[in-house]
Amino acid sequence: MGEAILFTLFSLSAVAFALGMVFRRNAVHCALHLVGVLLSLSGMFVLLHAQFIAAIQILVYAGAIMVLFLFVVMLLNVKGETPLLTPGAAKGFGFFFAFIAFVELLWIVVSQGGTEGEPAPVPALPPNFGSPAEIGKILYTTWLFPFEVTSILLMIAVVGAVVLAKRKFA
Amino acid sequence: MGSMGVPTEYYQLVAALLFTIGLIGVLVRRSALIIFMSIELMLNAVNLSFVAFSRQHGQMDGQIFVFFVMAVAAAEVAVGLAILVAIFRNRETASVDEVHLLKG
Repeated sequence: MGEAILFTLFSLSAVAFALGMVFRRNAVHCALHLVGVLLSLSGMFVLLHAQFIAAIQILVYAGAIMVLFLFVVMLLNVKGETPLLTPGAAKGFGFFFAFIAFVELLWIVVSQGGTEGEPAPVPALPPNFGSPAEIGKILYTTWLFPFEVTSILLMIAVVGAVVLAKRKFA
Repeated sequence: MGSMGVPTEYYQLVAALLFTIGLIGVLVRRSALIIFMSIELMLNAVNLSFVAFSRQHGQMDGQIFVFFVMAVAAAEVAVGLAILVAIFRNRETASVDEVHLLKG
């Protein structure tokens, strides 16, 4: 029962913050709304037995990535766009295609469910499901090679960011 | 015998909603910065989907995938924001409608 209440709370706040993020004019407000979405999702991760993911969601996303965003927002000092949305037919097409995509996603969710009209039952999980120890065990055995490739990717990204930001353009 | 819990379908529904809102942001906003934030929102919607399916199947591989998505998102943000700063220095704008050199 409590889980259902928390789920409703987190999902409503996530959707509300997401709408605020897309339709606010001030970029700093948008960034703070995105932090709200990330925190709500972190709460949902805890409900889904993903405690480690919830923790790094706050540390990496709400911490590191959003600070980077806010730095750039304040560095660029972008004036509020007028008009807010892209003008002309492109706006109509944008909403139209987003609506089509939503209907498709909805259709997939509805058609892939469990038995007729009933949501699939939630399986019982072992008590240590999603704990850092269990995550670490499969991350450093089954997924060791992708993990090492990720480190190379991050190094390339850092080098690329420095090169792009320091280059003098004519 | 399932334990009490919110069904996976409801989580998928929330993920679909968040993904669509992010898609709207990418399609209709003009500021490249907000478009970036919308992409982050879409990535997060997919992460929610991954974690929900991970619980449904009782396997933690989905959570490992979320871990990798976060690493790729961090790399993407670092490079993307550097490109944005470079564009702003060059053209004094962050609007995607005004960056149309290839159009001639």
